[in-house]
Amino acid sequence: MYRKQVRRRRAILVLLVVAALVLLSTQFSEAEGGPLHSMQRAVASVFGPLEEGATRALKPARDLVNWVDETFSARGENDDLRSEVEQLRSQLAEAQSAEGENEQLRGLLGLDRQGTLAGYEPVTARVIARSPTVWYSTVTIDKGSSAGVKVDDPVVTGDGLAGRITDVTHGTAVVTLITDDRSSVSARVLPNGPQGVAEPEVGDPDQLLLDFIDPNQPIQRGQILVTAGWSNGTISSAFPPGIPIGKVSDASVGEQQPYQRVHVTPYTDMRELDYVQVATGGPTRPGVPG
Amino acid sequence: MIVTWRIALRIALIVVVTIVLQISFFSYLTLFGTTPNVVPLMVVSLGLLGGVMVGAVCGFAAGLLLDSALLQTLGVSSLVLLGAGYLAGRFREGAEVSNSLIPPLLAGALTTAAAAGFAAIQLMLGVHTTVSLLVLREIFIQGLLAVLLTIPIYPLIRRALRPALIDDLAVLGARSPITRGLARAGRARGRRIRRAAGYS
Repeated sequence: MYRKQVRRRRAILVLLVVAALVLLSTQFSEAEGGPLHSMQRAVASVFGPLEEGATRALKPARDLVNWVDETFSARGENDDLRSEVEQLRSQLAEAQSAEGENEQLRGLLGLDRQGTLAGYEPVTARVIARSPTVWYSTVTIDKGSSAGVKVDDPVVTGDGLAGRITDVTHGTAVVTLITDDRSSVSARVLPNGPQGVAEPEVGDPDQLLLDFIDPNQPIQRGQILVTAGWSNGTISSAFPPGIPIGKVSDASVGEQQPYQRVHVTPYTDMRELDYVQVATGGPTRPGVPG
Repeated sequence: MIVTWRIALRIALIVVVTIVLQISFFSYLTLFGTTPNVVPLMVVSLGLLGGVMVGAVCGFAAGLLLDSALLQTLGVSSLVLLGAGYLAGRFREGAEVSNSLIPPLLAGALTTAAAAGFAAIQLMLGVHTTVSLLVLREIFIQGLLAVLLTIPIYPLIRRALRPALIDDLAVLGARSPITRGLARAGRARGRRIRRAAGYS
């Protein structure tokens, strides 16, 4: 009797491990519209309203806990901000003496959002769920295909670029943030800096890395990074040009490395996303579905 | 643990509520620069209370729900949480959980192991990153946070499943329908049943 029980337990355990491995490998080989993906979207649709309700109800408690944590870290941040203020003062003086250049930068930066996202229909969405690990920098929003959201639509906040849509259900969509490992954004350094690909550093949601930059091109701390929005006629970036991404925090050339590595601090605080805007229905970009 | 339909429903409810709380509440928090993850410690708690089968099945189901709700790669969380639940259950069946520090410490250790396992699978699946100090810090702090969070969460789960816990049957006496017959016999009878059943 006891042996039979042990055998049954072992069989169930082996079955579960095999099921997990089968799920893992099948999902990798399966197309986007396959049965596993459909089942996953169905579960996500069922969870959507639950997540939305819980997110709204628990917001005050969340804010309270984050406020306590932020209070602890505010002291160290204060010193950083002081030095940043000093740096910004000197930058302001330079900027005032070059008003014409400033105007040009404003246009390129897309501070006038109407200009940058011209042709798009912005859909405002609330963030209702997020992944608990650093390996998936994704959030779920409460707008889906019913609101016109499609895969590869750019997602922005009031501060700058946040990510792009990678999965859509009827009432929800998944935004892969620019700090996710699977994300890479073609970007350029303003005012006349080089272009490169901004990629995340896994484990650090506050940093992006602009790699493969010619070491002879000088890049200063504080310079601004925007989306390049390149296109070669056949394929193109999913993001329109001119959306602010972040500012350069450090630029260095490692030993025996032919390229310059530029560290960028994103403008958007990925841990504090509550509302985002999805740029839907934009002009057709070659190679970008939708 | 005696798993009746009613208890199975309670366990399912615990799993679903924990996942909704994780993705709608805990994932938004930043404590010591890291996001707390309560799903592994819920699975470890269930494994500690219910044994190998309860731990493993709940780990698999919780992982499947989590990956489905967040549209992540299916099977990764299931595999990792299944392991955590199984190990917690093995501990329960091989040793006495007599000290109140054991659940938090075990949850901390297994959450750290689960986070490391998750990272290893991600790297094997082709995530292009180096094993940096940032990733190691994330894994370590998640373990520490699990120790702290288990202190209030484990007693809550234990309380929700109390009618099914053989250890508590004698103490509860006639209050629970399952314990009605056991109340008179007390602790000694509870121990005999546990031995006869071959697990706790």
